[in-house]
Amino acid sequence: MEQTRKTLQTVAVATLALGISAMALHAEPKTNMMHQWAQGSEAAAIAKLGEMFEAAGGKWEQTAISGHTSNTLAKLRSDVVAGTAPAAVQLKGPEIAEWNATGQTANLDALATSEGWDAVVAPELISVMKPTGHWVAAPMNIHRVNWLYSSKKILTDLGIEVPKTWDDFNAACEKVMAAGKICLAHGAADWSDTTTFDSVVYGMDMDLYRKAFQEADTKAMRSQGMIDAFAQLRKMVGYMDSGINGRSWEQSMAMTMDGDAAFFIMGDWTVASANLAGYKEDVDYLCNQTPVNWGGTGYILNADSVVFFNQKDPDYVDGQQLLAKIIMSPEFQTTFNVAKGSIPSRTDVDLSTGGFTKCQQKSQVDLKNSVNEGTLVRSMAHNMTVLQKYRGAMMEVITEFVADPSITPEQGANQLADAVEVQQ
Amino acid sequence: MGSQTQSKADQPWRRWIAERTPQLILVPTIGATLIYVVGFSLWTFWLSLSTSTILPDPTFAGFHEYVALWKSKRWIVSFQNLFLFGSLYVAGALFVGTLLAILIDQRVRFEAVWRTIYLYPLAISFIVTGTVWRWIFHPQTGVELALKDLGWIGAKFDWITDRDLAIYVVVITGIWHASGFAMALILAGLRAVDGDLVKAAQIDGASMARTYRKVILPVIWPIFLAVAIVLLQFAIKTYDLVVALTQGGPGVSTTVPAIVVYDLMFQRGQIAQGAAAAVMILVALAAVLIPYTLFMIWRRRQEGNQHG
Amino acid sequence: MADVIAHHEFDPLSTGSPRRRILSKSAVYALLIVFAVCYLLPLLIIFLNTLRPLQEIVRTGFIAWPHEVSAQYWGEAWGSFCIGGTCEGVSRFFKNSLMMAIPATVFSTAIGLVNGYILSKWRFRGADALFGLVTLGVFLPAQMTLLPWAFVLGKLGLSNSIAGLVLIHTVQGISFTTLFCRNYFLNVPDDLIKAARIDGAGFWRIFRRIILPLSPPIIIVTVIWQFTGIWNEFLFGAVFTSGDHQPITSAIVAFSGSGTGERHYNVEAAAVIMAALPPLFIYLVGGKYFVRGLTQGAVK
Repeated sequence: MEQTRKTLQTVAVATLALGISAMALHAEPKTNMMHQWAQGSEAAAIAKLGEMFEAAGGKWEQTAISGHTSNTLAKLRSDVVAGTAPAAVQLKGPEIAEWNATGQTANLDALATSEGWDAVVAPELISVMKPTGHWVAAPMNIHRVNWLYSSKKILTDLGIEVPKTWDDFNAACEKVMAAGKICLAHGAADWSDTTTFDSVVYGMDMDLYRKAFQEADTKAMRSQGMIDAFAQLRKMVGYMDSGINGRSWEQSMAMTMDGDAAFFIMGDWTVASANLAGYKEDVDYLCNQTPVNWGGTGYILNADSVVFFNQKDPDYVDGQQLLAKIIMSPEFQTTFNVAKGSIPSRTDVDLSTGGFTKCQQKSQVDLKNSVNEGTLVRSMAHNMTVLQKYRGAMMEVITEFVADPSITPEQGANQLADAVEVQQ
Repeated sequence: MGSQTQSKADQPWRRWIAERTPQLILVPTIGATLIYVVGFSLWTFWLSLSTSTILPDPTFAGFHEYVALWKSKRWIVSFQNLFLFGSLYVAGALFVGTLLAILIDQRVRFEAVWRTIYLYPLAISFIVTGTVWRWIFHPQTGVELALKDLGWIGAKFDWITDRDLAIYVVVITGIWHASGFAMALILAGLRAVDGDLVKAAQIDGASMARTYRKVILPVIWPIFLAVAIVLLQFAIKTYDLVVALTQGGPGVSTTVPAIVVYDLMFQRGQIAQGAAAAVMILVALAAVLIPYTLFMIWRRRQEGNQHG
Repeated sequence: MADVIAHHEFDPLSTGSPRRRILSKSAVYALLIVFAVCYLLPLLIIFLNTLRPLQEIVRTGFIAWPHEVSAQYWGEAWGSFCIGGTCEGVSRFFKNSLMMAIPATVFSTAIGLVNGYILSKWRFRGADALFGLVTLGVFLPAQMTLLPWAFVLGKLGLSNSIAGLVLIHTVQGISFTTLFCRNYFLNVPDDLIKAARIDGAGFWRIFRRIILPLSPPIIIVTVIWQFTGIWNEFLFGAVFTSGDHQPITSAIVAFSGSGTGERHYNVEAAAVIMAALPPLFIYLVGGKYFVRGLTQGAVK
């Protein structure tokens, strides 16, 4: 209290002395951003966002919600129920549209037009950020989900090429298994099992992926293509060791990069973690796209974004504009994504400088190619396509399929469709 | 203060207040309880019948969320787990707690040290408990690895990765956390048993095991009931332990209802279905508590009859 | 009533031949040691991991003797690790947890004492039903109460504040403290109260002169129980506070990362031990009374 009064007095005196109008002083952009990057290098990257916000004349506050995404969503719902919706919050995929439909999200069209976002943001992303044709979210990055990390050591020792198709992959795994090594490093969890399955379905049949995983078409889920995909997943479970349950994805990463396992399928956050753990690209590991049977460039996209909720206080409204502008600036996108292992959501940022790795540079090139080839899709596993209730239901079936060898591919496909139909 | 009250007590309203002091003091508690227990439960029940998705929405929709819930394999597994985990956890903690209490009761040296060692897990949060035991149970970081390093190549201890056995890993970890609590209560109960009773049994030539089984433990059975009720509430609320230990896996094999409620309500934006799941937990609770209450009332009547 | 422990004269192992006695004594100690190892092992594992470099942990797993030992992770955890946007470690969350746990423990214990006193000694029509209802509060799953609490806190203007958390933990704590205290006070002979009333003592006078002097064991029990429970709770902490107000358990959860960030296991382990110290300390100091008071309070 005392502090505030003194500050106010100082401000008042300064105002009088300088002859600045009180109105100008009042307009200090403020924000409070709610996100889930509570620790380590991700938290440091967000701290950088705060610094840039303050440097631009704003007053920065943040609420980092720890742990799983559901904690962030619980906090968001609680705040909205309590009548104190956050000024800015990290939200992604179909949730942007859901919250937009409540009529509580702010419109960023004016800013987007003046900054030219439509021209620089990847097209698959634009539809998510503009659920009803208006910009309501600012994308922070693009994660690639379909990375196949290979152990350079095992591939060299056994004379195996990085597999291009799923048949190649199976053949490679037979070789690796015959040599007494683990072929596929994996830590089982609903999201990681589904991450793997994303790549399998996409790589085997892109149209099936679009129908089943982007449109939640249950007919497609019961199709022969999906049964084949489950059969491939069943094979791949056989290429894993018996310790997949309770293993973290970092441990699986280490298994591959230490040369205990040949392959590891995971998103590009692995790159950031591997570098931190001291593993070297092209020495300990190689990064390539997961196999596709249809040739060409495959790209499964995942993106983090920030949504803005309507505020009464004009300072916070100003703050939202400022924050969105900074998030979309090439400078922030570089800092943030170097730390996250992802690439900027703007396609016009140069990755040859600023500390990006080769894998990240490759990601950007592949993104452009897949846009041109029309092969770009969004990730179901990482909540970029269907509503959470469908995604959650599908993840339950997929993770059960991985855990329970008695489920046949036919049963898997039908259970997948059943689980979604129950929620319709 | 007491005498002041007395001297003014002839004024009718003062007397009215003085007579009802206890009830008046309870008013805030009654209010809070009505809101917290009754209000929150009814609100949840209403939401379970509503059209709520990402935000609460009071529009009535009917019982179809319950139907959808009971078609979900994950929910059915989690509901079964509640009963399986709940009964094994309570029974196991009681068993280990009794064993420890009897051991400590043998006039051992450094009693305080033993007691503290067995009791300390209760001070550790479930998240930490779950995380550490995951490290221990996992074949590649824990016991199995340690045994292999010691030269036993064929060692196998992979319950946590087995969908049929993983729930027992949760049970064991739960028992580790709670058995000290059971021990503390049972130990104090053992100490409160009438010494003459024990002496009489010993004079009759009863062995130690027999003395405990036939004479001491039956006397302190109300303690077992009390411990069981306290542990039961842990069992029903179990959430962080499973999240940290197995994340509900392998597959959905170790999911518990509280995880489903949280996931549906917050992760998936299906508040109505999550509320339906919460109501089912309350129903399960009622299935245990109502017989217990009836039993207690019956017992009190019996006692009353005996005395009167 | 405070010295139940003293009268016990029974030594179950004093029967049988001397050889048998020695044998059974050693069996008892052997079992005690085996259990003690099982109980202490997890603590030892956490502690060892506080000393190991991250690379070593990632590469060789959690259960391994440290090759390189360093105490720096303790320092990082306490003062410099980045959590929630400020790089000051867990130290600042410690204060929040104290500001939440101490008032909530005091309030819920005080209210529980008075409630227990009334429900056991000033019984009125419906007292048992009320007691049953209060006790039911013990069983409500926290996940279910999140949204209604959010609504209530919003209406009271307590969202995102430690005061809000104190309110929640006090209301939820009353269930437990009332349960413990009521059952404990049932053991106080009714004649004592009757005699005092005949002497003209009023409600509060009896409470101060008779009930409170008998209460220390149960106060210790409720304080330990409440403090530990509140201190270790994380869900409400994460959802109903923001940024600088979060309790330490929420900060601990922060170490588990967002799923796609890397984990600092060694710093996490050190923070975990720090977060566990206050409840551990309370158990070490109060353990003896805890055992004593619990029996008298929870039985019946």
